[in-house]
Amino acid sequence: MDLNAIKKLVKIIEESAVNSFKYEDNECSIYISKQAKGATIVQSAYPAPAPMAAPQSAPEAQAVKAAAAEKPAESASNLHEIKSPIVGTFYRAPAPDADSYVKVGDKVEAGSVLCIVEAMKLMNEIESDMAGTVVKILAENGKPVEYGQPLFLIKPDN
Amino acid sequence: MLELEIFDLKLETEWIGRNFLLLEETESTNSFILSDKNDFPNGTVVFAENQTAGRGRLNRTWVSAPEQNLTFSVLLTEISPLMPDLHLVNFAASIAVANSISNLYQLPTDLKWPNDVLVRNRKISGILVESVSSGSQVRKLALGIGVNVNQTIFNGDYLIQPTSVKNELRESASREKFLAELLNNLEQGLLELAADKQAVIDEWKSKCSALHDKITIKIDSKEYDGILDDIDEHGFLILRTPDEEIKKFTFGDIQVRG
Repeated sequence: MDLNAIKKLVKIIEESAVNSFKYEDNECSIYISKQAKGATIVQSAYPAPAPMAAPQSAPEAQAVKAAAAEKPAESASNLHEIKSPIVGTFYRAPAPDADSYVKVGDKVEAGSVLCIVEAMKLMNEIESDMAGTVVKILAENGKPVEYGQPLFLIKPDN
Repeated sequence: MLELEIFDLKLETEWIGRNFLLLEETESTNSFILSDKNDFPNGTVVFAENQTAGRGRLNRTWVSAPEQNLTFSVLLTEISPLMPDLHLVNFAASIAVANSISNLYQLPTDLKWPNDVLVRNRKISGILVESVSSGSQVRKLALGIGVNVNQTIFNGDYLIQPTSVKNELRESASREKFLAELLNNLEQGLLELAADKQAVIDEWKSKCSALHDKITIKIDSKEYDGILDDIDEHGFLILRTPDEEIKKFTFGDIQVRG
């Protein structure tokens, strides 16, 4: 595929409703995505105050590069992985001055709250779906998490 | 007290509000509807005449005078058609509120990212969405909506000055008709979101006057200036800074600069 053909293709995709496009044949493979590559995702250590509310003091916000998901070094087959069901910001505590819901070594029951993931004023509370012990916390407080990103490793009670 | 007969006559939904609970008083309709003590069907609406501990984001308060406004929550238990960009229910809900206000009262509305509805630069509606996941699966979601209808006096400090339908219209409005119209529009909006989320994002963008304007985003004590460049395919805000850097925001408070 020559450069002009690629340019044309980019223009077509740009003007269309398609967000990403992939083409492959024996000679080449081309992938076009409209998503702003390397866009900095701005996050904060805690959710920011919203309108209609008394101001609250909170730690300094941090602008962070979209970090790649921290993968578990090894996820032993007997450990249960809890993944983020949505894209958003990971919070280990309900408020800046509050204790974390859980820490490594804590025993949890099915229904125990582990964390909150927030996106666009949707606060998603994640509960453990089994009884066990928190072995590892795989995401960092106040940082972005992706859909399906592992957040916790739980060792089930036997 | 809300007159259920009038409301029922105007309700044209199939599943939203068909199970309707009218509470004289509760702390928060979101907490009530999500409580594991209750096992409500998809589309259940819990409406409170007096919400004693109405909440905004992160346990901030939503104050609403009893029996004058709409304070209610809609329960969604059929989540999978809305995944993975579940937070876009915010867009569907704020569009439904704005459309209801313009359909019934012909007032000019404006949307402010991510989910505020403004009339003449004053806030008329606030939305808080809370969901509960068991492990990696979202089990249920409460769409909490507050709309100022007949309240005329707002005491207290507000980041954005509040208003109500009555303040803008100079006459009282029927809460029953407004609620039915809103639930009718919301059901359509959620169906559209499940079928074509980009269409919902595009409609939201068309109702947001600040798109391409100079804005400031506040997160905690930090401020970011730039142009509101776009809303991306997930509904997140894309800011173009003066030095042409592109930043993506999943939350924050927006102010438009002159």
